[in-house]
Amino acid sequence: MPVLGLIGERFARERPLEGLRVAACLHVTAETACLVGTLRAGGAEASLCSANPLSAQDDVAAALATEGADVHAARGESLDAYAAHVATVMDSRPNVTLDDGADLLSFAHAADRLDGLIGGTEETSTGLLRLRRLQRQGGLRCPVLAVNEAMSERTLNDRYGTGQSALDGILRATNLLLAGHTLVVFGFGYAGRGIAERARGAGAAVVICEIDPLRALQARMEGYEVMPALDAAERGDLFLTVTGSRNVLRGEHFERMKDGAVLANAGHFDVEIDLPGLRAVADGEPHTVLPLVERFEVGGKALNLLASGRVVNLAAGEGHPAAVMDVSFALQALAAEHLALHGNGLEPAVIEVPRELDDEVARLKLAALDVEIDSPTEEQLEYRRSWLE
Amino acid sequence: MSATDTTTQDFKVANLDLAASGRKQIDLAEHEMPGLMATRAEYSEEQPLAGARITGSLHMTTQTAVLIESLTALGAEVRWCSCNIFSTDDAAAAAVAVGPEGTPDNPQGIPVYAWKGETLEEYWWCTEQVVNWPEGKTANLILDDGGDATMLVHKGKEFETAGAVPDPAGAESEEFEVFLTLLQKSVAEHPGRYTEIADSIVGVSEETTTGVNRLYQLAETGDLLFPAINVNDSVTKSKFDNLYGCRHSLIDGINRGTDVMIAGKTAVICGYGDVGKGSAESLRGQGARVLVTEIDPICALQACMEGYQVVTLEDVVETADIFITTTGNKDIIKASDIARMKHQAIVGNIGHFDNEIDIAGLAKIDGIERIEVKPQVHEWRFGDGKSVLVLSEGRLLNLGNATGHPSFVMSNSFTNQTLAQIDLWKNKGAFDNNVRVLSKELDEKVARLHLGALGARLTELTEDQAAYIGVKVDGPYKSDHYRY
Repeated sequence: MPVLGLIGERFARERPLEGLRVAACLHVTAETACLVGTLRAGGAEASLCSANPLSAQDDVAAALATEGADVHAARGESLDAYAAHVATVMDSRPNVTLDDGADLLSFAHAADRLDGLIGGTEETSTGLLRLRRLQRQGGLRCPVLAVNEAMSERTLNDRYGTGQSALDGILRATNLLLAGHTLVVFGFGYAGRGIAERARGAGAAVVICEIDPLRALQARMEGYEVMPALDAAERGDLFLTVTGSRNVLRGEHFERMKDGAVLANAGHFDVEIDLPGLRAVADGEPHTVLPLVERFEVGGKALNLLASGRVVNLAAGEGHPAAVMDVSFALQALAAEHLALHGNGLEPAVIEVPRELDDEVARLKLAALDVEIDSPTEEQLEYRRSWLE
Repeated sequence: MSATDTTTQDFKVANLDLAASGRKQIDLAEHEMPGLMATRAEYSEEQPLAGARITGSLHMTTQTAVLIESLTALGAEVRWCSCNIFSTDDAAAAAVAVGPEGTPDNPQGIPVYAWKGETLEEYWWCTEQVVNWPEGKTANLILDDGGDATMLVHKGKEFETAGAVPDPAGAESEEFEVFLTLLQKSVAEHPGRYTEIADSIVGVSEETTTGVNRLYQLAETGDLLFPAINVNDSVTKSKFDNLYGCRHSLIDGINRGTDVMIAGKTAVICGYGDVGKGSAESLRGQGARVLVTEIDPICALQACMEGYQVVTLEDVVETADIFITTTGNKDIIKASDIARMKHQAIVGNIGHFDNEIDIAGLAKIDGIERIEVKPQVHEWRFGDGKSVLVLSEGRLLNLGNATGHPSFVMSNSFTNQTLAQIDLWKNKGAFDNNVRVLSKELDEKVARLHLGALGARLTELTEDQAAYIGVKVDGPYKSDHYRY
């Protein structure tokens, strides 16, 4: 993770986070460990819990704890244990929260534990949806930097990261050949687009389901077949949800699916596939056919659910490759620094990551890739200014 | 326009004044045809085609002009016609007739009989002009594309031997009727001429899948009159020209013909051979959703594995936007299919012959009207007001609506053609009347000649590595059944 490494070197020199208490609710992976290390190098005290009951890598959690970080996570922990871990991390009275799904800030608002909090960052579109809902209702009481919407994050994390790792998770869980199969992707946002592109590259026939006409049109113009979910339900061999919405796949879809269909979710929460609905239409209990593959019998057909409908790239794969998380977490580190230095002047709202942070991350990433680029000449700058005037 | 007059000059093209512009295009093409130019340079001293009289029937484009001038540079005499009524580039044809040293007032090129937009009568007349040589000479080699020149010689001799040409009125198609009418007249004027030509020809090299099929059929029944080289199945031909050439020129033809936005459209490719594969990729690359029809389960499965949906034409004829035939077979899209297509669907063919789409049947539909949007683009308006766009009247649309394959791809094909002509001429009498392909060594040589221009650097085998896989360091590297 060279970008985070470069930031860590500067943090160690400048100690911009000296004395700052940072709470993070992120997937506990090796990459997250590097972020925690970077924050600590900058002088912060860090507490960490897992953003998903199934995603924590226990060896990483153990290693972090050994190094002195305050870690609360165990793979396969119960929902109660999970909630308790979120509460424990918030007990550290953090100045800055780093969220992946907005669980920390939701808890802080619900439990009124906001004193000392300068602000937070949010890693996912799902988390931002929740926080904006809170803001609309007038309840948001601290600034939140929308890390998920920074351009460097969007392209690297969603498009290239989820694009690669969601398929990786499906392949590891099922060992299916993509070529020749029809993959139905729900949602043609950054992640959906990245997934569709790669699946097509692997020879799958890709069908897109969308509710947004502009995105649906983009999908169609890229040559994908676009159709309503009810029609797609009959066509697909594989179904993958990446919408940030809920009950995208539900009873009426399950009933129409082909025997042997595979269902997976790469959106943040496990609500995109209607699991109670699946149980309701299924005959009897599901049985586990492979680790992370549960088979439901629906009207004499077998439907295979991956990773209990939880984010498949983390639950069945290893999450994003380090290079992608490097950029995400570099942004998180710079966002934490920005909040530490300027957070008290920010309004309590979901706000854009300042452009300079985005540029800085991209600049460091290019340096890590040994790529040089041009700078505008004085003449070109003048030309641009003259147009702006 | 200085239309040419064959009573005083042995050629016929649209307009000699286009020669200067044709010559500029030839100069540009030569740079993009490194293999062909390297072959020209390699053999220029030896003159391996000295004494060869080549009758060529192949799309008269700029790239073909470079081929023609390569053949003459190696010592051959050449007469040329196009193998399609729409595929001639009039500027290239004029430049070939004028020649590099001539002027429109004093043409010094080779006898070329070709112009864009020939009638069927004119087409077969042109073929007759280049198969028959003046002053008692006869052709001794054929360079064919689609097999029309070879067919004229074979049918001519067959009917001469039988003592009569069949009645044209009984012909199964309009084109065959024209063909028989021409042969009737030709044989009546010069009895025995095709037998004489057939006897003097030492071989044919054939460019396309379609022509090669015809040759194998003739060989199988023992009717092939001279040895043939199947250039089409050189790897550096069919896996390049058919695939990468079509990938380039299909959308070029559709764009120039219709300027329609391809992204977002649903396109149906009939046939998933090399041409179909290139065509499917071409349209997918533009953002079309591509569907494939196939009769061959292997090709159909290949299409599936590339992520294309395999359907029957029946399934999608009412919903797709663009229909392209690539099969080399006939009656792929029937008039009744076109009648069911949606308003302003686009129909075109990139297979060799125009019998893949039933245009004649379309004309017979009650109340239909054929409106020319521009040359080679026709709107067929049905009685109910719905219309369908047909490109190049069902003939090769990449050549009819655009300029065919780009020079670089054709350099591969035409280097094979040149090597095949040299092979046939050098080895006259050495082979039975059968069809063979060029050696793997020559195939690899053609590829090698094109790598440098692309800045590619080959890795060389060590002696040890070569021995390990049982090949020579300099190749050939693959067995004959390797499929690339």
